[in-house]
Formats: sequence, C-alpha cells, structure tokens
Amino acid sequence: MKFWVSRLVGAFALILTVSAITFGAMNILGDPLFNILGPTAGDVSNPESVAKIEAAEAQFNLDKPLPVRWALWLGDFVTGDFGVQFSATGQPPVSDLIAERLPRSLMLLVMAQTMAVIISVPWAIWSAAKANSAVDRTSTVMTFFLVGMPTFALGIILKYGLSIRFDWFPATFVANDPFWTRAWQMFLPALTLALPSAAVYQRLLRTDLITTLQEDFILTARSKGVSKRNVLFKHALRPSLFSFITIAGVTTGTLIGGALVVEQIFRIPGLGSAIVEAILREDFPVVLAIVMIVTITFVVLNVLIDILYSIIDPRVRAS
Amino acid sequence: MSDLGMTEADAVGHEDPYPERFLPHEGDQDDKAEKRKLGFAFWLCTAWLVAVIGLAIFAPYLAIKSPNVNFVQPGERPPYSPSGEHWFGTDQDARDMFSRTIYGARTSLTVGFSAIAFGLLVGGTLGLLAGYFRGKIDQIISFGFLSLLSFPALILAILITSLLERSLLTIAITIGILSVAPVGRVSRATTISFADREFVLAARSLGARHPRIIVRELLPNVLIPMGAFSLLGVAIAIVAEGSLAFLGLSVEKGPTWGKIILTASQSSRDLENAPYMAFFPIGVLFLTVLALNFAGDRLRSFFDVRELSL
Repeated sequence: MKFWVSRLVGAFALILTVSAITFGAMNILGDPLFNILGPTAGDVSNPESVAKIEAAEAQFNLDKPLPVRWALWLGDFVTGDFGVQFSATGQPPVSDLIAERLPRSLMLLVMAQTMAVIISVPWAIWSAAKANSAVDRTSTVMTFFLVGMPTFALGIILKYGLSIRFDWFPATFVANDPFWTRAWQMFLPALTLALPSAAVYQRLLRTDLITTLQEDFILTARSKGVSKRNVLFKHALRPSLFSFITIAGVTTGTLIGGALVVEQIFRIPGLGSAIVEAILREDFPVVLAIVMIVTITFVVLNVLIDILYSIIDPRVRAS
Repeated sequence: MSDLGMTEADAVGHEDPYPERFLPHEGDQDDKAEKRKLGFAFWLCTAWLVAVIGLAIFAPYLAIKSPNVNFVQPGERPPYSPSGEHWFGTDQDARDMFSRTIYGARTSLTVGFSAIAFGLLVGGTLGLLAGYFRGKIDQIISFGFLSLLSFPALILAILITSLLERSLLTIAITIGILSVAPVGRVSRATTISFADREFVLAARSLGARHPRIIVRELLPNVLIPMGAFSLLGVAIAIVAEGSLAFLGLSVEKGPTWGKIILTASQSSRDLENAPYMAFFPIGVLFLTVLALNFAGDRLRSFFDVRELSL
C-alpha cells in the first residue's frame, strides 16, 4: 500500500513540476503579449494601443504575478479548459483544437503498438525455437538494422517503396474519410512506428524465451509428451513476458516522440503537426497543452505498467 | 561446451529435445578468443567513420563544390539526376547534393559529438560522484537522472528549441541535456563496479584523498567503457538532430542531414521523380549511424572486463 501511495504522489509531483517549468519557461523566455497583439504590444506611446494592451492583459491574466497565473491556468486545465490561443481573436479555444487532433495521434499510437506486438511475438517465438540457426541469425541482423534506422528515414523509405513506387498503400490522410478508410490510410505511418519497436521487443522476448526454455518445468512438460508447439506457446511464453511488458511501456515514450515525426512525414494533422504549427506561431498555450497531455499520458502509462506488473508478478507488490 | 552452459539434461544424459542450440552463446571458449579481436567489420566501420569525418572537417579545403551555388543547366529543370558532374544529383534549387551531404555532415556530426561531449562532461561527472560517494549524494543525483528520464525526450527538446534561438550551440546543448541521464547512469554503474576494487583500497590506504582517487584511479578505468558507450550516444544524437529537423526545429543556418532529407522528401512528387535526392543522404546518414552503433558495440564488449574475467 505504501508503495502505491509513494508511486502516485511521485507521479503527481512530476506532472506538477513539468507544468510549472513549462509554464514558467514560456512566460519568461517568450513574450506572451507580443504573441497576442503583434507589434502593437511595444507601442506604448499610442493611447489606443495602450487600451488594447490593458484589455489583453486583463483577458489573458497577464497583469497578475506568474505563480498566480500558473495556479489559474492549472485550475482551468484540470477542468478541461486549456485556455485560448495566443492570437488576436483567440479562436478556436485550445480545447477544441486538441479534441480535433488528439484522436488521430492516439489512433496512430494504438495501431503502431498493436502492430509491434503482432509482429514481434511470433517473430520472437520463431527465432527462439530455432535459436542460433541461420533463420535466427538473419533476424538478429535485421533487428540490428531496424533499431539503428532513424524513424524519419524508415518513414521515407516505406512511403517511397510501398506507396509511391508500388501503389499498395495510401500515402495521404484525409480527415473527412470514414473511420475504416482513415485506419487504412494510417497503415504505413503505424508500420513506420511499429517496425523499430517490434525489433526491440523481438530481441528481448527471444532472449527471455531462450532462458525460459532451459528451465526444469519445460523439460518436465516435454517429458510428459507436450508437443514442442504447445511448450512454446503455453508454457514458455507467459513467464517470458515480464520484461516485454516493461519495455513496451518504456518505448511508448519514444513512440510518442516518433509519432510527432511520422505525422509530419505522412501529413497526418495530429498533435505532432499541431505542436509544430504552434511553435512557428509561438502559440504557447497550444504548446503547453500538448506538452502536458503527452507528459500525463507518459506518466499514467508508467503507473499502469507498474500495476500490470504487480498483477503478473506478485513479488513486486511485496518490495 | 563450457561447464557454465551445462544443463540438467546434459547431466543426466537425457536426450534433450532442444539440443545445445538453446544454450547461451556467450560462454563458449571460441567466443572468448573472438572477443579479444575487434574483427574486420569493426575496421570497416572505423574506415567509413574516418572517411566521413575527414571529408566533413576538410570540406572547405578540398575540391568540393559549394553547397549553396545553383548549378542551373540551361533548358533543363532541376532537380538533376546523379551524373559525373553531380555524384548525388542536385536538389530542387540545382544545388549539388554531394557537397550538401558533406556540409550537412559538418553540422550534424558537430551536433552529435558536442552533444555527447556535454553529456559526458555533466552526466559522466555526476555519475562518477554518485558511484564513488554513494549515500545521500547518490540518492540526489540518481533522483535527478530519473526525473530527466521520466518525460519524453523529444518533448523536452521541443520545449527548449522552441523557446531559444536555434543556433548550433543551442541544438547541441539541448541534445546534450537529453544525454545527461543515460550517460550518467552508465557512468555511475561503471564507477560502482570499480569503486570497491583492491587498487582503490590500496590508494586509499596510502593516504590518497577523494579527488586524487577519483581522478587518478577511477577516471581512467571509467573513461574507456564510457568512450565506447558514447559512440552509441553520438549515433542517437545525430538521429535526434534529424528528428528535430522534421519538426522544423534544427539548426537554422546551413544544411544539416536532417534538413536536407526533409527538403528532399517534403513533396511526394519530388520523392517520386527524384528519389536520389532523399536516398543518398539517407544512405550516408544510415551507414554512419550503423557504423557508430557497431563500432561502439564492439568496443564495449572488447573492453568489458567483467565479461572477460568469467
């Protein structure tokens, strides 16, 4: 119980710290007033501009001290109100923008993670069953290449090979298409994300499977007459999944980063392109909201993995 | 087969359905002998790295075309395909891709190496101190590393680069900050493995003080495995620059690998008509990253004292 309390408090503290640092950095290093009003912000001699500045300061709480602004922002954020965009109109609200973009990024991530698992588990079992054979060595070399391959390079190669040269997969994302068409359009982007993680999973699971296959209970199962296939799938797989789950959680963080890049390559208007556009316009409320969403997702995922881990392996709860 | 790798099945003479192919490969005598040699592939990687780094350093003094001149050929629209004149072809503005790749290497490699240098300086030192002193100092430093690791790297990079002017130094330090925690953790673990060895005890009993023990006894031992590890780090840093470029957040001035690959692949039509524009730089980038990975990996196992002493 104490373990869970400290774990949750830690996660909460981390999210708060990230929000404070991000909020502070953006307000100190950036110039919010200038981003809202443009050149008018510096024009203090003109009474008309001064009125505009004062109105904007009141509207965006810029006249209050930084910690108070942070507290106000945090209060709004918790209730799902991410504030207004830094522009003369402030429309549409950041929450609307996020609500439009987030599902696409989420879908990409879920598809990528699913594909990575679907690819890596059979691949690892196959490799482990034929450990140190030619097949296994070839796949080890393949994983080495895939892990070393930058996401953007793989994305361009897949886009060129499978979509431009051979017109097998769509390369563009159309936001208004029906759900399944959009899922199909996301196949290549998801594959780009999935392949390197699949390689990482395969390496790990293969090693763990080989270790498990040397255990006594595997020998017992085999001597009872359980077939090779059943030993692999029913006896060896489950105890080998511990580090697989951990690494799947850890790579989700990398995957989020990769997703931003992949969205750029395949032109998916998700959070990645939203943050890039926002940075170009120095639209900090949008950047802040996205940074917070990503951080919270990341932290929550890590806690979830700890919980999952303790369900699979009761020893974790004791320590 | 060594004794270490022996299974129950071998001991009872039972016919194992999974013969020795299931045994871990590392324990074999042959492998141990193999480990002392770096191997042909390692030298191949080194040769490639030396060539790329050499070209990058001496590019202004070699007979390489300027990366910013437009070599427009009358009557033809760029990009031009690879030819004797332009080995990698040219980009949409008729600029020579070969020289752009080499000049891109100047920036990308500088970013890669200085980022890791920063990581080694800060993370390496912190890790060394944490691993040597342990206790409170270790707890504080380790917590710092953990907090750095606990949010997505690219988000941190986006945050810093979006707020500051994107000079070469900013990008290098940003990626450097990202490398502090991983480098520091390896440095800490390596230091711990040396901190209780006899030669440290000997130095201490001879009256050596902490700074002397750290600098004269521990640092030389930690530096070698850290050097091998940092080659992997350079590869990651180079890729990180590329990823930032795709988000529009790389070094603002001059070509970098990330930026030239981005310009070459931005429009699907360019990618279809002139794939060489993207694929030559991708090839060079990939080979460099692979060479760094492989050489680092090889060096690491070459210098791994613990593995050898088994």
